[in-house]
Amino acid sequence: MTTPLTLTPGRRADGTLLLTAVGEIDMTNTDVLAEALDAEQGPVLLDLTGVEYLDSAGLNVLFAHADRVELVATPLLAPVLTISGLSDLTTVHGL
Amino acid sequence: MFTADPEIGRDLAAVDWAATPLGPPESWPQSLRTAVSILLSSRFSMWMAWGPDLTFFCNAAYRRDTLGQKYPWALGRPASEVWAEIWDDIGPRIDTVLRTGEATWDEALLLFLKRAGYEEETYHTFSYSPLRDDSGAVVGMLCVVSEETERVIGGRRMTTLRDLGSDPSVVRTEEEMLAFAAHQLGRNLHDLPFTLTYLFEPDGTARLAASAGLTGPHPAAPATLSPGTTGPWPVDAPARGESVTVALEGDGFAGLPTGGRPQPPTEALVVPLLQQGGAPYGFLVAGLNRYRDLDPGYRGFVELVAGHIAAGISSARSYEAQQRRAEELAELDRAKTAFFSNISHEFRTPLTLIMGPVEELRTRFAAGDPRVRDELDTIHRNSLRLGKLVNSLLDFSRIEAGRMQARYEPVDLSAVTAELASVFRSAVDKAGLAFDVDCPPLAEPVHIDRGMWEKVVLNLLSNALKFTFEGSIRVAVRAEDGHAVVTIADTGIGVPAEEMPRLFERFHRIETARSRSNEGSGIGLALVKELVGLHGGTITAVSTLGEGTRFTVRLPFGTGHLPDDALAPAASDAAPSTTAEPYVLEALRWLPAGTSATGAPAVPETGDAPYPSGPEVPARVLIADDNADMREYLTRILRGAGYQVEAVTDGREALRAVRADAPDLVVSDVMMPRLDGLSLVRELRGDPRTAAVPVMLLSARAGQEASIEGLQAGADDYLVKPFAAAELLARVRATVELSRLRTHHARWRTALVESLQEAFFVCDEQGAVVEINAAFTDILGYGPEDLPYRPIHPWWPQADSDPEGHQQVARAFAGLVAEGHGRYTVPVTHREGHRLWIDVAFNHAQDPDTGHRVVVGTFRDVTAEHYVVQRDSALAALSLKVSQATSVPEALTGALNELKELWRARQVLAVVFGHHTEPAVTGTGSAPHWRELPADRREALTALRERPPLTPVTDHTSAAIAVEHPEGPMVLWVELGAGRPFTHEDQLLLSLLAGHLAQGLVRVHQIDQQRETAIALQRAILGPSDLPDGFAVRYEPATRPLEVGGDWYDTVALPDGRIGIVVGDCVGRGLEAASVMGQLRSACRALLLQDASPAQTLMALDRFAAGVSGALCTTVFCGVLDPDTGLLTYSSAGHPPGILVHHDGTTRLLEEGRSVPLAVRPGRVRPEGTCTIPARATLLLYTDGLVERRRRPLSVGIDQAGEAVHEGRDAAVDDLATQVMSRLAPENGYDDDVALLLYRHPAPLDVAFPAESSQLAPVRQALRTWLERCQLPPQTAQNVLVAAGEACANAIEHGHRHSPGEIVRLRAEAYVDDLRLVITDSGQWKTPQPEANAHRGRGMTLMKAMMQHVTVTSGAAGTTVQMHTRIA
Repeated sequence: MTTPLTLTPGRRADGTLLLTAVGEIDMTNTDVLAEALDAEQGPVLLDLTGVEYLDSAGLNVLFAHADRVELVATPLLAPVLTISGLSDLTTVHGL
Repeated sequence: MFTADPEIGRDLAAVDWAATPLGPPESWPQSLRTAVSILLSSRFSMWMAWGPDLTFFCNAAYRRDTLGQKYPWALGRPASEVWAEIWDDIGPRIDTVLRTGEATWDEALLLFLKRAGYEEETYHTFSYSPLRDDSGAVVGMLCVVSEETERVIGGRRMTTLRDLGSDPSVVRTEEEMLAFAAHQLGRNLHDLPFTLTYLFEPDGTARLAASAGLTGPHPAAPATLSPGTTGPWPVDAPARGESVTVALEGDGFAGLPTGGRPQPPTEALVVPLLQQGGAPYGFLVAGLNRYRDLDPGYRGFVELVAGHIAAGISSARSYEAQQRRAEELAELDRAKTAFFSNISHEFRTPLTLIMGPVEELRTRFAAGDPRVRDELDTIHRNSLRLGKLVNSLLDFSRIEAGRMQARYEPVDLSAVTAELASVFRSAVDKAGLAFDVDCPPLAEPVHIDRGMWEKVVLNLLSNALKFTFEGSIRVAVRAEDGHAVVTIADTGIGVPAEEMPRLFERFHRIETARSRSNEGSGIGLALVKELVGLHGGTITAVSTLGEGTRFTVRLPFGTGHLPDDALAPAASDAAPSTTAEPYVLEALRWLPAGTSATGAPAVPETGDAPYPSGPEVPARVLIADDNADMREYLTRILRGAGYQVEAVTDGREALRAVRADAPDLVVSDVMMPRLDGLSLVRELRGDPRTAAVPVMLLSARAGQEASIEGLQAGADDYLVKPFAAAELLARVRATVELSRLRTHHARWRTALVESLQEAFFVCDEQGAVVEINAAFTDILGYGPEDLPYRPIHPWWPQADSDPEGHQQVARAFAGLVAEGHGRYTVPVTHREGHRLWIDVAFNHAQDPDTGHRVVVGTFRDVTAEHYVVQRDSALAALSLKVSQATSVPEALTGALNELKELWRARQVLAVVFGHHTEPAVTGTGSAPHWRELPADRREALTALRERPPLTPVTDHTSAAIAVEHPEGPMVLWVELGAGRPFTHEDQLLLSLLAGHLAQGLVRVHQIDQQRETAIALQRAILGPSDLPDGFAVRYEPATRPLEVGGDWYDTVALPDGRIGIVVGDCVGRGLEAASVMGQLRSACRALLLQDASPAQTLMALDRFAAGVSGALCTTVFCGVLDPDTGLLTYSSAGHPPGILVHHDGTTRLLEEGRSVPLAVRPGRVRPEGTCTIPARATLLLYTDGLVERRRRPLSVGIDQAGEAVHEGRDAAVDDLATQVMSRLAPENGYDDDVALLLYRHPAPLDVAFPAESSQLAPVRQALRTWLERCQLPPQTAQNVLVAAGEACANAIEHGHRHSPGEIVRLRAEAYVDDLRLVITDSGQWKTPQPEANAHRGRGMTLMKAMMQHVTVTSGAAGTTVQMHTRIA
């Protein structure tokens, strides 16, 4: 059984990809996340405000796309993003 | 079992035990085995009785001392049969011991034992102490005996001997002496049921002179016994000096006194009353105590009594003989006077016929041949002298016959006396003396017989001249108090004071150092006294040796004192009669100018009398001379004369020989090596023991000075070489006999002292022991030959090896020197090295010979008593320690400490060789591990365990013994320290104590086991074996005495996921309470499962309890907890309130829902309370034993419990339970049962899941829910969630990559201020290498960042991740 995670693609006003994630991200569903991010070239805004859990496996995917991904997150995920150093590589909104 | 004494053991083994109530030895309990081992290994006299018949056992000492011929018959028999004859005495005592368990103590109890074939009077001091079986019940008794027969009977006899010698009067007649002795003998009828004293008449008939014990005439006590008769008593044998034992059989001996005992005597001892150097005086018949053997002691006692009576007879008879002799002498005196006066008459005629012609011849040859004239003068003078003597004798006889023809005429006494004095003037002048005649006329005349008065004055003047060599003679007459007083005084040599009383005695001559003549008849002064007496006057003399003598004659004036018919008118002055002439002439002959007709006084030559032979009683003579020839010569002479002779070569040897056994005389040369004769005498005289031994010195040094030196040193006689054999023998004999007379008293005293049962000693002022008796040597081993013993005495315990014993003796000795009296019990060392205890008593006294202060003391050997007391107290102390102990280790430790204290040991170890691989060491202080002991010690201890149990082994620093321990063989090892003596008694004590300990350990072990069984039982019925998470429980039974309680706790998992909680307390203790508890607990469980309402449950339980006896008033707390929410519904039946301790330390009591205890009001509706347990709060339920203390409000205990819970906030809940129990425990442990239940909310999360990634989400969900219950801040919970998620992911991804499905566990536990996570798997992680594998390193980094502490432990069994974080 994979951990519940829904990824809803969308477009921002400037036409860049907006990916809204809801659920939890762990080693069982990182491939789903990776696939969604790889689906399109160019900058992506990943909205994690609906994500209650993000572990190092999820971080690994985000690190792999750090040069083109911007994040939106709640303070709940802030320690994970800060400690892993991801917030230094990419822009995180909402903190 | 019987190996401790091979001999007794063999006989014990031979007993058919199966036929006794004890059964075969293999079946005997440990306690009996131990008791038998102790008995057999003891050197003290002991017996014991065991079991329903009091089956008899004894050891070798008892067999030897007491049992006698009853051995081995007595072994295994009922004690009442063995000691049937004294069962009336000892039976009740044994009953007391068995009934009360208390020991008895009897001192010197009289018992009539049949152990030597006859009924024997014995005295025993003994103690009966109880013997217990393995369960502690008294089933027998042990008797430790010391026989005191010798002491008691010896003391009794001693008293009789002392009383016999206590006669206060100096002289007694024979009859008085015998009556006194009989009276004293009559006071000891136990030893002398009757006594008869027969004395021999000159014809050999024996006459009954005294008796004791008999109240009237008896056929066995005839008044006389002829020589040659044999009945009732033999006469001839004692007459020959032999003792005879007579059996008292036949009618003639019927009805003899019993001496205060049940039966009359069966034997009598006939003992001669020996006379020194003569036939016996008679004999003593002594009835003998039939209850005692006639041993040497008894025989010696009777002989001493006889000896005393003989000595008394001797002294009485010699007194009588002296009296008789004095009378005979007086008679002889009279006869002599009569004889002389008779013959004097006859002399007068021839004298006259001689004197007349001589006068004529002198006239005729007045101018003739001078030689003829001289010879005629000689004849004339001696005739006059003879005439004077004859006249004096005649005067005496006349006076005695009352035929003195006196004619008293009044005279001027001054004139008459002066005239008489003038007659002597020429002689006095010639002697070169001043002559002072001071005779003024008296106012009154004095009536005198002129003839008699002349004799008075002339005798006194002649006497004065004879003894005065320079100075003057004075004659004076005065009137004084109606008397004329005439004094004649000289400045002569004087009369010794001791001779003054006999001065006027007839025929008594005073031996003086110097006089003008040795002639004298000894009648002059006697006559003077008689003559003065006829005048109604008195004569007295005053004399000072070396200064002179003054005679004072007092004559009354008047005539009232004189017979009328003898008075005469005054005659014309008459010139002195011819009476004066012989006096003057005689006096002139003494003077140097006179012709030496008589020459110098002749010293009487020793006649050729036959040589004196040796003494009548053989005497012992010690010869000390360094010259072998001389020794042989002296020995030959003295042996030839019948002396027993011992010869030594110098003074030192002589001194030693005399001290060892004093002879009757020492004959010693003066010049000897090492110690010369004079020094020998001085040494002997300086020692009270030998001061009286007579010494005769032999020397080649002639001359007065040498002999004076010898005599001054204290020698009794002094003989100059060369000497004749006859002279030596004469002097030896005289000295021996003189000394025997002198020392009779001393010898009696010595005999008395030597016969004392107690040791006797005399110390001088410096504390040196200078005299001892035989008992002293018997007890201490030190004999008289090495006297004196100066302090520090050789029997003191060594200061270095036994400082304590040394101190004790030093203290007692200080008391002896300073206080002079006292009594001490002190340890001493026998000459052979073994330890003794003596009870010594002493007093100051004055040595009558020297006037020095001495200390006289006695002591007796109390070693046995001392060790009995020490043993009893040590056993008591050990028993107490063991009985107070609640466990085997405690009992053992207590016992080791007792042993350590008893022997002042450095250390005591006990090593148990049990089932464990390594022997267990227990010790005083901190015991080392077996491994820490030195290898040789380990080896020695291991060897000891193979030794027979209860047999001590000692070396110079330690003692050890093997003992049975419930867990296996045990070795006790006592480290004493170097040089500490461990005596035989110590060994015995050690084995006794070890035996007791073994028995005590078995008992404690049994109790231990029972207790553990009971506790296990209690725990089994107490509560669930699987507690829900978050709970901890404890049950503690009261420590002492062992009881199973009525407290319980319980948790019940209810079908809806809630948990029923019950804590209850039944009334009472013990098994009964436990059984009630069991029923209530089960009922409560069932009720909770049926209806999960605490109030309903308790109401139903009310009804149930009403039907269970003993359940009334049980208190119960019953609650139902929802572990998810922490909601607790509860009801209390009179139970102490639960305590809720919040995470911040505040407490809340669960006081709602309270009502009465169970079954008090059945049917009554019970209330219910609710309470939500907040996160990280702790609920404490308990029974009152936890918090209830005497004299303290319950609230104090509740507050303490709350504090204890809060202080344990960092502990896991199970550890917290332990902490609370120990913190609240009273100093001596709980004295009531305690049940305790703790719950901390929320209960820990414990999840086990297969190592598959699909499990991650559900596990995370469970953890998230649990974290919510913990009421943590959201971010904290998220951090914990991430950290746990990473750990779980690692376990799945790395631990079980190749073996998916293995189990991974997650446990999360909330402490009050802390949260802990543990994730375990069975795989092995690879060491994270962040550079090579960045994402793995990120996981670990996250964990470490999210939690305060993370440890990863990887091993063969798997990997464990532990993490925690503060949550306060």
